[in-house]
Amino acid sequence: MLNAEQIRFLLPALLVLPLAAAVVLRLADERKAKWLAVVFALLHLILTLGIVFSAVTNEEEFLARRDASSPLTASAKSGASALPVFVPHFVPGDPLLDGKETSTTRYSVFIISNDSPNIKPAQFFIGLDGLNVWLVALSSVILFCVVLIGWDEQYEKIGSYFSWLFLLATGVIGVFLSFDLLMFYVFFELTLIPVLFLIGSWGTGAMRREAAKKLFVYTLAGGLITLLGIAGVVLFVYDQTQILTFSIPELAQLIQKQLHLVDADKLSGTWRTAQVYLFLALAVGFAVKIPLVPFHSWLPGAYSEAPTGVTVMLSALLAKMGTFGLLRVCLPLAPDATVIVGLPLLGVLGSVGILYGAFCAFAQSDARKLVAYSSISHLGFCVLAMLAFNAQGLGGSLLHMVNHGLSTGAMFILVGMIYRRYQTTRISDFGGLWNKLPVLTFFMMVIALASVGLPGLNNFVSEMLMMAGLFDLRELSWKGLTFGLIAGFGIFLSAWYTLTLTRRMFFGPLKEPVVSSPVMDMTTSEKVSVGFLTTLCLVLGLFPQLVLDTMKRDVDSLAVIAKDAKQRVSKYNTTK
Amino acid sequence: MSPDLTLQKVFSFVLPEIVLVGGACLLFLLAAFTKLPRIASLLVALIALVVSASVNYLFHIESQNVDGTNSILVTVSPVLNTAFSQWIRLTAVGFGLILALMFFDECEEDRTAEFLACLLVTISGVSLVGAANDLIVLFLGLELISIPTYVMLYLPKNLNAKAQESALKYFMLSVVSSAFLLFGFSYLYGTTGTTNIEVISKLIPRYSSSDLGNQSLIAFVLILTGIGFRITAFPFHFYAPDVYEGGPSGPVAFLSFIPKLAGFAALWKLIGFVGEAGNVAPDFTKRVMMMVWILAAISMTAGNVMALLQTNLRRMLAYSGVANTGYMLIGLSVWPAQSELYRTDGYRFFASGGDGILVYLVAYGAMSIGALALLAYLNSDARPVRSIDDLAGLGQSQPTVAFLLAVLLLSFIGLPLTAGFAGKLLLFLSAMAAPPTTPLQELFRVLALIGAINAAIASFYYLRVIMALYLRTPLQPVQPSRSVLLLVVGIICVIMTLGFGIYPWPLIQSTRWAAFSL
Repeated sequence: MLNAEQIRFLLPALLVLPLAAAVVLRLADERKAKWLAVVFALLHLILTLGIVFSAVTNEEEFLARRDASSPLTASAKSGASALPVFVPHFVPGDPLLDGKETSTTRYSVFIISNDSPNIKPAQFFIGLDGLNVWLVALSSVILFCVVLIGWDEQYEKIGSYFSWLFLLATGVIGVFLSFDLLMFYVFFELTLIPVLFLIGSWGTGAMRREAAKKLFVYTLAGGLITLLGIAGVVLFVYDQTQILTFSIPELAQLIQKQLHLVDADKLSGTWRTAQVYLFLALAVGFAVKIPLVPFHSWLPGAYSEAPTGVTVMLSALLAKMGTFGLLRVCLPLAPDATVIVGLPLLGVLGSVGILYGAFCAFAQSDARKLVAYSSISHLGFCVLAMLAFNAQGLGGSLLHMVNHGLSTGAMFILVGMIYRRYQTTRISDFGGLWNKLPVLTFFMMVIALASVGLPGLNNFVSEMLMMAGLFDLRELSWKGLTFGLIAGFGIFLSAWYTLTLTRRMFFGPLKEPVVSSPVMDMTTSEKVSVGFLTTLCLVLGLFPQLVLDTMKRDVDSLAVIAKDAKQRVSKYNTTK
Repeated sequence: MSPDLTLQKVFSFVLPEIVLVGGACLLFLLAAFTKLPRIASLLVALIALVVSASVNYLFHIESQNVDGTNSILVTVSPVLNTAFSQWIRLTAVGFGLILALMFFDECEEDRTAEFLACLLVTISGVSLVGAANDLIVLFLGLELISIPTYVMLYLPKNLNAKAQESALKYFMLSVVSSAFLLFGFSYLYGTTGTTNIEVISKLIPRYSSSDLGNQSLIAFVLILTGIGFRITAFPFHFYAPDVYEGGPSGPVAFLSFIPKLAGFAALWKLIGFVGEAGNVAPDFTKRVMMMVWILAAISMTAGNVMALLQTNLRRMLAYSGVANTGYMLIGLSVWPAQSELYRTDGYRFFASGGDGILVYLVAYGAMSIGALALLAYLNSDARPVRSIDDLAGLGQSQPTVAFLLAVLLLSFIGLPLTAGFAGKLLLFLSAMAAPPTTPLQELFRVLALIGAINAAIASFYYLRVIMALYLRTPLQPVQPSRSVLLLVVGIICVIMTLGFGIYPWPLIQSTRWAAFSL
């Protein structure tokens, strides 16, 4: 186990290692590329898991601050001024005070002005907290599996393929680790270039270039508006407090403090309008990335044209950047607006997404597109549960991000295996694959049941939590109930289309497209990668408590923020 | 302090310009009487540029004393030596060095000396615009850029009909724009009775509250028209695509940046002060700001939309230049709003329109000159590189050049870690950081939004080039010209783009020094 000092030292390596891998693979010999990629991915996995497990079991830094009597919950009860929202741990460059971490960093990158100490630069500010720690672990796990399934692919220039994959992973991990708004945005946008080249060069369909371009332009447009939102938040806080900072914990804290100071009347003025605009601007980029329904039109193309590994990355990790952004940026930085507009707007979009995604999934004739649409449906669920604004909903949503990453990732990998064998994934071409590919079918069934939400497997836990959050009897409202009903119906629909898919493709009499080479069952590398994910699905289904415990403090503090915001809004509504 | 003493002192302020013009004269003379080898002319030009920059430091006399008082009569002096003028001078000289390298192989051996001499004269012109404190000197500076440009467009080797047409087009329109500019200046003179910019900046705010307000408004319309041509703002950009397409590559790279630098320096001087009229003539201030606002919005949108339709690379870059001018005009539009008048107590600047423009100018110069140099490097008579299709598969046949070009294009898109991102971020921040008491405050936020949407539209056509570079197969491999200097120019520009993108603070610091010790 690593101690805090070592974790602090090693944390940047989570970004540097894949970056180095990308450079090395680019320059390396094509024949050695596969080996190198697997070695790098394995190294990264070991490093990440080492850091994550050392971090979550670290008594002093991580666990000590998450007991029930934490300052935040205490202050929320008494209604006193707000205290830290996010407390990143193991921040590299932390100017330690008496050996205790201050959750700030000295590594300045983008200096805007040196006129005054109140104008702070954008910093290289990374750290671990309850929100991101499991997503970082997920990124590394998925990267490893994606590299493994690339083992059997016959890509041209496999070295560059892996190189871009590692670069993409750098961007994703960077987004999860960032505690600086500008850095968050930089990593968010930097994921675009690898995706563009991965889909454009190694995509499977004829429309791959168009799909890649569409994804790039869509996400960039959304991202730029988010950038304006970021600038707006920073400047708004500066206007109010004369402190300019890009640090997310500091911004969130300043905003909380200010919101506690202003009374309900004042809230109707500047604060309310400003927050609403800022929320809308911030949410656009995330809504495109998730994607929520009117912004989803890049998705079917990109998911079905991309090579399997990239589809897995897109659905398991990149989509999470959007939902994670809502939690990390939107809710703490514009809490009231999240309640005022976020709840109705994102709630409706999420609900529509659940139903629309589910029905579209059912109507697809192509298995890959089916999984793509099911992903829209599941993520709508994730967004909806967040909007319950209670610890169950937020925690469930966060856990579901990890679970969905594992199960959908595995699902895309399995569908990709079928594609590799038959060069098609048209559902009507297949039937009774069980006879031919028993191992693949076994894994497919487990994953399908996981994604449907069978008790004992991972999605069950998070879906139950999310439902519990939505049907919150303490604060019964028709909104919550409607959303809960829609979500429940969504779970039912998901069982319907997923099981229909498995029935049509894997059971009944054998039917398969004619292919020249003999079709083999899963290879070792495939078994390792899918087996790994499946095991994790089972482990998380049986022992979710570790994950839930570690995220508890941060989820609670988010819930407190939301609760405060709700109270302010209802107070305002009654005074009006 | 007497006016006479001031006029005596003023000469030392323009020593760097005198050095440049002297270098140009030397080159003209040498070329007339000897057969100067190409490399010798380049050497003379580079030495002149370097000497000019060092003279700037060696004989450095500020027009302001340390305590902030003026060491000369600024109301008399035709030129000033301020932080701003020095920033413009050093930037001009810096890009002059890059352009000189690019110009090296552009002409036949016996014309290179004249060609480079013209460049030196234009650089001195830009520098003079930065220093000008008098409308006449300002005009002189702008003409010192224009007139040699006509010659530069004609001098290179292998001029075809299209290139000649573009040179003529540039000449005609440039003359017309100069006329507009002079007309505008005459209105300023008619209103205030002086040509001294310092005096004008004090008088215009007072006069504009009276009936003379409309008269000075007309002056600003005409000035924007005249300078709008040089910075290729919509709708004064019509020459740009044709000249970019037909003109020789060196002068085109020159045209893409140097007139913009000079134009923005001039606009900075002429429009920067209208904010101070805010309390006596709020309508006037608002109108001037609105005018620039509209110009910014239209330039961005029209430039990007038309660039979307292009298949010719240089035409695309011309329209992208129009759009980039639009981004910089955001800064110009908001700059008056950040004058002292509107700053509340304790309001500290971290992003103003003024330094946003300057940062973006440097970023744009690097991207634009770099991209044009690389395109020129790839081009050859046997295998011309004109349209996007000609670049197909460059990633395979010329990986290094393709990479350099891709970095520049990503900077054009404004992706993080490039100078283009730093510049755009500062411009957007400046538009959103307009002090709360400013007129049009809400509109500036809208402008930032328009800018962001435009940046997304723009990504579409830059992306098309990037995808051609990497995702398509080459039809016929390109045959790069043998002029390695063009590649060197490209590399320098890429280094600047990445350097200022990853650590922009030195650049930001220098622009802030220039902007706030004006």
